[in-house]
Amino acid sequence: MIGQLSRKTPVIVQGATGRTGSVHVRRMLDYGTRIVAGVSARAGADSVEGVPVFPDCRAAVAATGANVSLAMVPPLGVLAAAEDAVNAGIKLIVTVAEGVPVHDAMRVGQIVHNAGATWVGASTPGLAIPGEMKLGFLPDVSLRPGPLGMMSKSGTLSYETGYRLGAVGLGTSIWVGVGGDPVKGVRFPDLLDTFLADKRTEGIVMVGEVGGSEEEDFADALARAATRKPVYALVAGRGAKEGVPMGHAGALMFGNVGTFETKKARLEAAGAHVFATMEDLIAACRRQH
Amino acid sequence: MLLIETDGKALLRAGGIAIPDGEVAAGTAPALPGKGPWVVKAQVPVGGRGKAGGVVLCRTPAEVDAALKRMIGAEIKGHEVRSCLVETAVAGADEYYLSLVLDPAQYGVRVMLLREGGVDVEQAASSGAASRLCAPGHASIHAALRELAAHEPSDRSAALIDTGDKLARLFLQHELMLAEINPLFVGPHGCIAGDAKVVIDLNAVHRQTALQELIERNAAVYPDAVRKLRDGFDYVEVDPHGEIGLVTTGAGLSMMLIDEMTTRGGRPLNFLDIRTGLLRNDPTRLIKTLGWIGERPSVRVVLVNIFAGITDLAEFANLLCTALERTPQVKVPVVCRIVGYRFTEAREILAAKRPDIAVEEDLTAALNRVDAILQRRAS
Repeated sequence: MIGQLSRKTPVIVQGATGRTGSVHVRRMLDYGTRIVAGVSARAGADSVEGVPVFPDCRAAVAATGANVSLAMVPPLGVLAAAEDAVNAGIKLIVTVAEGVPVHDAMRVGQIVHNAGATWVGASTPGLAIPGEMKLGFLPDVSLRPGPLGMMSKSGTLSYETGYRLGAVGLGTSIWVGVGGDPVKGVRFPDLLDTFLADKRTEGIVMVGEVGGSEEEDFADALARAATRKPVYALVAGRGAKEGVPMGHAGALMFGNVGTFETKKARLEAAGAHVFATMEDLIAACRRQH
Repeated sequence: MLLIETDGKALLRAGGIAIPDGEVAAGTAPALPGKGPWVVKAQVPVGGRGKAGGVVLCRTPAEVDAALKRMIGAEIKGHEVRSCLVETAVAGADEYYLSLVLDPAQYGVRVMLLREGGVDVEQAASSGAASRLCAPGHASIHAALRELAAHEPSDRSAALIDTGDKLARLFLQHELMLAEINPLFVGPHGCIAGDAKVVIDLNAVHRQTALQELIERNAAVYPDAVRKLRDGFDYVEVDPHGEIGLVTTGAGLSMMLIDEMTTRGGRPLNFLDIRTGLLRNDPTRLIKTLGWIGERPSVRVVLVNIFAGITDLAEFANLLCTALERTPQVKVPVVCRIVGYRFTEAREILAAKRPDIAVEEDLTAALNRVDAILQRRAS
């Protein structure tokens, strides 16, 4: 579903009338995203930035036929927002909030999975098809269209990487921020097929972090894949302190799981290139694309 | 966040799981529980304490004294040992491994129960022989425990299942990410938890009063968590003797910067995700951060790195100047790498107010400047 998104895709925004919501509705409209409705339980909110606002997803979907939603609601509201969305028939939901409790995320994951839908988030700046549309608050300055698929746990590190790719004349085809939480929707391995099948995408940039097993699971999926595209990876957090989450709740190591060394070894064994610095990654992308 | 063992065990005991008699020692030996032998264990939130010299079996009070003298104040994996647990060594029991952990890919709970004796726990876990994946609920975890304990003698399996049920209650009630007992002693007196490895979810702490109190009671052990709960952003001191103070936003970029500077031979003091998007024209977070950096005499340079996708850099530049003015204890050079929205205005503001600050738009150039400052001062 992510690979098919375009400026024609109708999108609804949950929490559209909030302070953050309304600002980013404007920015997304300016970028080209086709936002057809907002959702807000707040009384008296009829429209935002010229977009009609409905009291819940069911009403918004009934009026517009959209099946993609961006939820810009606070962390403790994400579970309810996800329930509202899938009950209305939404097939792709992006939740940007940071700080969703892990046990809430477990329930969101189950609900979305049972509905046969896709969840991106939480704790993500969103996703984009550069030059077409974006869902969330990825900065335009980093979104130059080009041949590289971007998947990232980190907002800022992907912005910096995207910006530097742009500076050397490269850009991105599909950009998915999977977010920095330990329990989330789409994970790196889930995106591999989408990126391999996408005709615009010649190579994959993976911006990973210590903690969890997503990079290792991605490496396993890559090793099994029938087709090949080059993978350029960063794994941040080599110097992270054990036992303490480094900003992202998912960037927590305990025991021998999810260290820089395990991730680098598994990724390289699967044929991915793992770089020690951003500069090295950009240089390699520039040589190949 | 990983709790230290004594806090993990306090949770277990509150949940009805027995633990060995023990006393916490912060300096000299406490009144020793029982007649020995004893185990002295460093209270730091890391795994693998045994291999790092943080767990010692002692047969006499003199050995306990010696172990405490050696450990208190020492550093294990970057954490200062502030206290040790002195505990009665459990004898005449078999050892088991019991754990509940979230499975992020399956949205379930993985229950593991196995008897030790030369068995590599991690290998057994990856083989799946001794683990079951189930839905995060009491009934399904109970069913998994029954299956895993099925081949044990009936009195023993009843005790193991009972302990597992109690652990499950704690896991679900406190929204834990990991609850592990290794070893779990099982003998004629039932089950006793020899260790406790508990990982809590800091994002759930605001609705977990008991956990919040536990963190605040032990503020010295969890300084990073206390800062996050009190101030709403992440500052983690990664090296108390670090030379480079960091003022950064974004978790991933901040981690990567630390890695890159370490590769270059630098010693970063701290990780910071200040979240510029939430500053809202208020310098409080910057003042706090610079205050913490200013407390460390080892710091020789401050690096500011802000990638402004949406943040107004002109506004940020003004806030930074105000914050530096309010933290005169920061006397070291400042390198400011800013890029993005309203860079030119920001550079003009900094040039006018703080001409001593080196401003760069390119990150590599900024890192080179930091290196130059460190090398100049060193020679």
